[in-house]
Amino acid sequence: MLSSNEGETSAGISQGAIPFGTRAQPGKDNQTFLVCRTVRSGQVIKYPGNVVVMGDVHPGGEVVATGHVIIMGTLKGVVHAGAEGNEKAVVLAFHLQPTQLRIASYIGRAPDDGDNTGTGGPEMARVQDDTVVIEKYQPGNEKRWLTQS
Amino acid sequence: MLEFLLRFFGRDTASSKKVAKERLRLVLVHDRAGVSPHLLESLKNDLIKVISEYLDIDTDGLEVSLTHENDAVALVANIPVLRVKRTFKSIQEPAFKV
Amino acid sequence: MGEVIVITSGKGGVGKTTTTANLGTGLASLGKKVVLVDTDIGLRNLDVVMGLENRIVYDLIDVVEGRCRLKQALIKDKRLENLYLLPANQTRDKTAVSRQQMIDLTSQLREEFEFVLIDCPAGIEMGFKNAIAGAEKALVVTTPEVAAVRDADRIIGLLEAAEMEPPRLIINRLRPEMVRKGDMMDIEDMLEILAIDLIGVVPEDQYIVISTNRGEPAILDKHSRAGQAYRNISRRLLGEEIPFINWEAGSFMSRIKKLMGLG
Repeated sequence: MLSSNEGETSAGISQGAIPFGTRAQPGKDNQTFLVCRTVRSGQVIKYPGNVVVMGDVHPGGEVVATGHVIIMGTLKGVVHAGAEGNEKAVVLAFHLQPTQLRIASYIGRAPDDGDNTGTGGPEMARVQDDTVVIEKYQPGNEKRWLTQS
Repeated sequence: MLEFLLRFFGRDTASSKKVAKERLRLVLVHDRAGVSPHLLESLKNDLIKVISEYLDIDTDGLEVSLTHENDAVALVANIPVLRVKRTFKSIQEPAFKV
Repeated sequence: MGEVIVITSGKGGVGKTTTTANLGTGLASLGKKVVLVDTDIGLRNLDVVMGLENRIVYDLIDVVEGRCRLKQALIKDKRLENLYLLPANQTRDKTAVSRQQMIDLTSQLREEFEFVLIDCPAGIEMGFKNAIAGAEKALVVTTPEVAAVRDADRIIGLLEAAEMEPPRLIINRLRPEMVRKGDMMDIEDMLEILAIDLIGVVPEDQYIVISTNRGEPAILDKHSRAGQAYRNISRRLLGEEIPFINWEAGSFMSRIKKLMGLG
């Protein structure tokens, strides 16, 4: 099981925010934090590395990572990938309907007309030509952009 | 039939609005007496201080509250006495001479 | 120098946030420069009611803790040029901001804006005390229910103790047909009990639910009767004398009943 230690996770819930993990070595890349629960309104997951959420991110919930963010569920809250400036970071979700999506210093938000349903399938957001673009997730293509975090 | 007609035309015998207004009036008399729990607590502590000069009392069983009867407010204190002190403390000398 | 007005109620769910959103939009559409401040830290809602939730980057806590400049945290409304929102933080609690910080914040805002409307959290604790700290005027929102009126009375007492200008009352969600039947307290009943000035009466309106769903304040809709009431309150806030709409005046049918001596 890849899950991070339980104590940290449960302590984080009561605080509303999870502190940067003690297990990750500062400066070391490719550390991944697995969150096995729903991230609800007011909760923040912060991690110096990649974050995988096995669940949904509700409106008002927030995931901040210096690397990639993968949501194995519906993303309706706010995600910030590449929070320390990594423009190569991506956000991937089964249902990508974020309130706001940030990668490095770029910010994308849901359209005002309420059409936020997407293709219905897994989608991926990344920075291309100085904007956040969202495209259908194509398995096998990830090598191109997942190599660096 | 008459009752039905009255009801039909919206003239219920005891309208709930009047009930609401009366209840509010009573509740607000209570609220506006404006005695905070903090004030009651310090009143209680002072009472304990004074009474224990004369009596041994059960300070944990002591209850002080305000009650309302017929628009009058009364202070009700329930003070369990453990035993009566035989000797009273002598009254303190004034701290300074006149 | 702008006015700082706090919108408060004591009880939750009586319509503080809806009122703040509508009056802010109303004042802005009358040409005033307005900022709405959500002080319900940890349970923010004003952003959703205004339909601005997807634009939040910084919030009130970021401002008071110096992580960003005030201007960076202000979100411009998507409909009106001169309307701004300062959102609350969602992850902290009411203790994250102090009275002094709120006083400093509001005095900064009032230099820039003509109206600073503060959406106060429910309750009478820290959040309430912070919300009223920088305000000189208060609007108390209540509904014609025993619990809401009781809490309004408590709040009015606290506002008077804080030596603010006498607060003015907004009666929200009045149902004229129930008042006519005698099943709801009427305006006079509540004014008699609370003994403060009335600034407006907002009738119950299904359109409020629809407009909140859409993130568009009801005041923007010409057909909403709550919107009409909010437009009137906005103008009264500017000092205009607007006659009160007589929501209780009854329909055609009830007037007939009166003629028949039955109503």
